Amino acid sequence: MNKLALNQFIALLYREVLENRNLFIGAPAVLALLLFVFAAWFVSLTPGWELATGIEYLSVIFEGLSPTEMAPILMIPAIPFMMMLFFCGLIYLLNALYQDRKDMSVFFWQSMPVSNVKTVLSKVVTIAIVAPVFYVAVLFVVYVIALLSLTLFGIILDVQVAGLGYLFLGAVASLALVYLSAFVTSLWLLPSVGWLLLFSAFAKRTPILWAAGVFILIGFLEDFIFGSQYLANWVESRGNPSHYIIYHFSDVADRLFSYDMLFGVLVGSILLVGAICMRRFID
Amino acid sequence: MNNIVEARNLEKHYGDFKALDGVDLSISPGSITGLIGPNGAGKTTALKALIGLCDVEGDLTVAGKDPRDARHKLMEEVCFIADVGILPKWLRVNQLIDYVEAVHPRFNRARAEKFLSTTEIPPRKRIKELSKGMVTQLHLATVMAIDVQLLVLDEPTLGLDIIYRKEFYDRLLNDYYDGNRTIIISTHQVEEIETLLSHLVFINKGKIILDAQMAELDALYTEVIIEPEHLAQADALKPIYTRDLLGKKAYTFESVPRSQLEPFGETGTPSVADLFVAKMKEGEHE
Amino acid sequence: MLQLKKLLLRNRFSVLLATLAVYMLVLVIEGAITGREARVVDLENPFFDLTVREFQDRSGAL
Repeated sequence: MNKLALNQFIALLYREVLENRNLFIGAPAVLALLLFVFAAWFVSLTPGWELATGIEYLSVIFEGLSPTEMAPILMIPAIPFMMMLFFCGLIYLLNALYQDRKDMSVFFWQSMPVSNVKTVLSKVVTIAIVAPVFYVAVLFVVYVIALLSLTLFGIILDVQVAGLGYLFLGAVASLALVYLSAFVTSLWLLPSVGWLLLFSAFAKRTPILWAAGVFILIGFLEDFIFGSQYLANWVESRGNPSHYIIYHFSDVADRLFSYDMLFGVLVGSILLVGAICMRRFID
Repeated sequence: MNNIVEARNLEKHYGDFKALDGVDLSISPGSITGLIGPNGAGKTTALKALIGLCDVEGDLTVAGKDPRDARHKLMEEVCFIADVGILPKWLRVNQLIDYVEAVHPRFNRARAEKFLSTTEIPPRKRIKELSKGMVTQLHLATVMAIDVQLLVLDEPTLGLDIIYRKEFYDRLLNDYYDGNRTIIISTHQVEEIETLLSHLVFINKGKIILDAQMAELDALYTEVIIEPEHLAQADALKPIYTRDLLGKKAYTFESVPRSQLEPFGETGTPSVADLFVAKMKEGEHE
Repeated sequence: MLQLKKLLLRNRFSVLLATLAVYMLVLVIEGAITGREARVVDLENPFFDLTVREFQDRSGAL
């Protein structure tokens, strides 16, 4: 990749972040804020001695544990954020090739020497690699603030807090798992990513209705034409949310290089090529 | 030298509606072409086709490339400004400049900033907070800092007040046009750009109804203020357009030698606006 | 070949149909070859292992 192509691609990613800052930064930040309000309310209702016992308990059970051992269990507080990323990603992909056609700015974007391939790929990279960075960053801030408050409370209540440092390391390690989960899930769901982008580029209005409607239609068509239900079966196996979370660092390679993953990437790529060709028709 | 735009038999349908109906167009480098037509005549479609923003049928070459296959390559040679409002509203002015700098190999940032410094556009403002006139100024400043062969302007001054409109064309002519670049402007406000043009194209209902160099107009079209006693003779020569002028009749003739018309009264070259009305009316009689 | 490309890229509907046709074909052919059932990858999850096994034991007992 030459320098111009690289600069172009970075500028495209930057554009996606700026345009979708509400989905990628605003949404997790609001969630974090809600979490803190809830936590503050909870703390205000809890008697001091219970809080002290709780902090000491945390400190004791995590003392000396290795961060990678703790990481899977510490992914639990990240689950609402991962769900939010999932839904924001859905909204993002449906609008990605539609919004600029709707507000006419597509004529500006397309008047720049940027190919349709780069444009569509920038959307895929945004959802798979860039957006999770912001979610993880917000979670990191949440963990820092939470751990600092716990430590502060611990010191005020005069209980042992040394183990909280281990807890923090474990939380940071869990963020790596959260990020990897988001990335691997984007690839695992590349057929869905391609599907949404295809209809985002296709629809003159309401891409969500087209994407959902045609999907159902095609399921019936397969049954009707071929008498088979491979699509439905395939969607069912791919739609299982237990695939979306990675609990162990060692699982990553297995997930990435499994047959199902590679076949999904192939199918997703077919749909992405469709989306790229569809981008010719912007009026 | 090869023409920068060569179009043969362009067709574009929207359902039953023919937006372009067999359009032929040749534009030579260094010219300033006015594409004039009423609303809905096919101007925008034609211009968007030229830069690959709209799929058409027919043979089309722009700057040596087929815009339908190589839009992003072509855009290194061509810039486009549409009627205001196509700049992304959520972007800030400096972010726009950053973006263009990153993606366009021929963008000169210093030049754009110099242009911007002569306007009152605040660099940190979002584009949606700017007035229509400022958005156009901003787009022009961006585009003027890009060194390209062809600039395509689609109704660039639509909805702007007279001061912005005048400034827009002044800048275009004085700061941008250097005799080598080619500019194509579409508008339905003929009077404003009449003096700029070197090439005139009228379009109506998807068809080209006039395609002439400005220098040829003298030879092709004559307007005569007919003396009353010659009216019958003048009618016999089939004027393409007649209008009342201070109690007399002004007739416009096409391809009638001026020497033949001089006996009927005072002769001259019709203004582009009159010619436009004449050609539009002519089309209606067919 | 050029004709085919032109036909496929004629308008947004032709692109959509072409894409969906390839998509369906690949899915159905792959499904037929692998005899695909709803495959669920086994998860090695230390925290939920116990419950899964319990569930299996219970359903096996029935």
